[in-house]
Amino acid sequence: MDALLLLIASTVSTGLLLGAIFALVAAGVTIVYGCIWLPNASNGQFFVLSGLVAWGLTSSYGFNSFTACLIVLAASILLSLVFESLLFRRLYNVPDRNISYFVITLGLTQVMSGVFSMTFSKWSDQFSLPPLIQGVTMIGPFPMTNNRILVLAIAYTSLAILFLLLRYHPIGRAIRAVFQNREAALLRGVNVHSIYKISFVLGSTIIYLGGLLYALAYSFDLSIAWTMSITAFAIMIVGGPGSVLGALVIGLIFGFTQAIVSNFTSPTVATFSYLFAMLLILLIKPNGLFLK
Amino acid sequence: MKIKLQHVLMLVALLALPFFTQEDRFLGFILGVTLLSVFWATGMNILYGFVGLMPLMFAAISGIAAYALLYFIAQWHIDFWQALPLATLFASLIGVLLGLPSIRLKGFYFTLCSLIIQSTITLAFIFFPTFTNGDTGINQISPPLWMGEPIKGFIFECILSVLAVTGIVLAYFIYNSQLGQRFIAIREDDVLAESLGISVFLNRVIAFFIVSLYAAIGGCFYATYIGFISPRSFDVLSSLNIWLFVAFGGKATIAGPVIGALLLAPLPFLLQSLDAYKDILSGVLIVLITLLMPGGIYGAYLAWRNSKK
Amino acid sequence: MSHLSSHPLLRVKELTLRFGGLYALNKINFEMHSGETLGMIGPNGSGKSSFVNVLTGQFTPLNGEMEFDHQSMLGKNCHQLVEMGLCRTYQSVRVFGNLSVQRNIDIAFLLLKKNGLTHEQYNHYLNWLKLRPVLHKLSKDITLFEQRKLELMMRLVLKPKLLMLDEPVGGLATSEVSEMIQLLNELKAYTSIFIIEHTMRVIKELADRVVVLIAGEKIADGPPAEIMKNKRVINEYLGSAHA
Repeated sequence: MDALLLLIASTVSTGLLLGAIFALVAAGVTIVYGCIWLPNASNGQFFVLSGLVAWGLTSSYGFNSFTACLIVLAASILLSLVFESLLFRRLYNVPDRNISYFVITLGLTQVMSGVFSMTFSKWSDQFSLPPLIQGVTMIGPFPMTNNRILVLAIAYTSLAILFLLLRYHPIGRAIRAVFQNREAALLRGVNVHSIYKISFVLGSTIIYLGGLLYALAYSFDLSIAWTMSITAFAIMIVGGPGSVLGALVIGLIFGFTQAIVSNFTSPTVATFSYLFAMLLILLIKPNGLFLK
Repeated sequence: MKIKLQHVLMLVALLALPFFTQEDRFLGFILGVTLLSVFWATGMNILYGFVGLMPLMFAAISGIAAYALLYFIAQWHIDFWQALPLATLFASLIGVLLGLPSIRLKGFYFTLCSLIIQSTITLAFIFFPTFTNGDTGINQISPPLWMGEPIKGFIFECILSVLAVTGIVLAYFIYNSQLGQRFIAIREDDVLAESLGISVFLNRVIAFFIVSLYAAIGGCFYATYIGFISPRSFDVLSSLNIWLFVAFGGKATIAGPVIGALLLAPLPFLLQSLDAYKDILSGVLIVLITLLMPGGIYGAYLAWRNSKK
Repeated sequence: MSHLSSHPLLRVKELTLRFGGLYALNKINFEMHSGETLGMIGPNGSGKSSFVNVLTGQFTPLNGEMEFDHQSMLGKNCHQLVEMGLCRTYQSVRVFGNLSVQRNIDIAFLLLKKNGLTHEQYNHYLNWLKLRPVLHKLSKDITLFEQRKLELMMRLVLKPKLLMLDEPVGGLATSEVSEMIQLLNELKAYTSIFIIEHTMRVIKELADRVVVLIAGEKIADGPPAEIMKNKRVINEYLGSAHA
């Protein structure tokens, strides 16, 4: 009986954690798609990149996890700005740019995964980050590492901040205005191109954050990059492209699905089901579940 | 129908190429794979360049045909030439069935659907080993027989060049036919095409079927030429590679995919020392082509030539 | 070629279309005869575009009947209706910009092939619309007026029994509008036309009858002179000045 309860508790905590991380990454992908019309197929590579660099900082240079994460987040904002100006800015005014962006990010995926196999995968098979803090707390009868509790807290706080930002802060409202109606936003004096830049940086940064949180809580290998991309796209499509609420809700659902499925069989089955759900929604209700 | 001199020269050159590599088996093999790539790229161009849809499940259909071919040969004790039409038809019909629901979707969503179907089929290849032997793959595939003798080497490359030329000639006829005109109308403005009495759905399905035939036939020859297949031979990267040949060479032209395949397909073999960089290089090419040269090499050449007039 | 016949070419009965909670079209009834020129006016948002879209197979109505040339239109999609002889143009001009004018017309020819226009008819239309000088040009490089005429040519090649024109003078200069009205008057000899506009100016010079649509409902139906004096129409739409 105890074993079963423990299993349930660990599944719940895994579900909560994976759900939050999925939600963060999917929110990042959906914001960038809804606002700029940029479907980022390389989101999984970004996800893994932050974890890999942080791992490099902690294992080779002796940084502690907290500092490493801050460094990575700062660097990632710079990287996003570089990508934006070098690659994506050129197509801002092209009407059918979503398919070109999709192809470009597929190419980017190949480049990044190639670079990773030539570098990081020569140095290690598995990657993870040392815990932020030590110790174990008892939640009722269930033990949980303080690290995991902290990661959970950071994840959900970030989600909350993101949600509030988009709903109430002027920048967030501008992003939503551009998403809903680019022409109308232009008429209201919104500088659409700089909103594009901001939303790209914002969206990418939460993906990097998601990667860091994952690396803090689990150890991973390079194959999760592709899996994460599929999962994030599936969440975005099922939730509705551009709907952050959809990303949050469906992200949580998929996170729990993954946690439950992992108890019985290989996680690939979960991936199969995400692909299937995505296909179903595309064919039946392409606007997803949360968009009008 | 205008038959341009340079096209005829190109076809003759393709037929002649195996003679140049007759003695060198390494170069001959590269040529064989390149000729297959020419055939595949020409096929994909019909959907991508002429109809305007990007079918990333192309390699999956090739894979289905290849595995079906081997299954039919092993189970029904028929030879390659009998199994070829069966496997081709089988894979093409599955291709159309899988693609059917997604044909109504707009550009990006169609591509995404195609990607999902491709990924699913690759996963199916890996996780249902009864037919496919999973990730280990199937090796020692025997080559087709002609009059009792196995077709190997130089003769096989000649056959592949005939295949490539046939594929190009067929695409040429389609391009210049009324069907081709409808494809172009649909690519340019599908709503307008529909309002002129063109059934967009039906024509897309036809295009899809034709392209699946190319994918399937190519898959069957690929399996018997290389002698070894695995799910990795027919994954997303393979589809993207063929797409790259088309985009790099120039979509919506006859010569474009040929040029693209001739230039890019040999590279992984000739630059074997740079093998690790292969993915990176092709990824960079994908990005550069999409950003800077949407018309491909041949498209850029045509534009340059037109601006001189 | 045109004569008023007794059976209606187009018949619409209790046609209803709903989007979410709103009725875009509410129980529309009317008939149109071959040879008659019908006009439809209404303010933006009155349902005119929805009406055209339902009639050309782009939306499915909630209720009601639609009949074209004695055949039911329900369930038929756009290209099937074109085969039956019902064609339309769009509010913003729509041609294959990257293709030459000649290619544009050739594509329209694909539908009827051998049953299409004779050489004489084709040349007649081409000369009448003055498109011969620009045949080789890319259709995105010709003037808006020429593009509008190209749209007409592409529809004529389809041998339509009824041509629905959605705001055919949109974007044209004043002199071009007069020329277009003249062309549309001449067009009546070749096919029945149904013009959708939001001002009376064009309609009163062309239409035998006008249907007024406001908020998805038909509020008047009659000759232009009558419509312009109709109290309800004046109050709800035209105001005291005729557009």
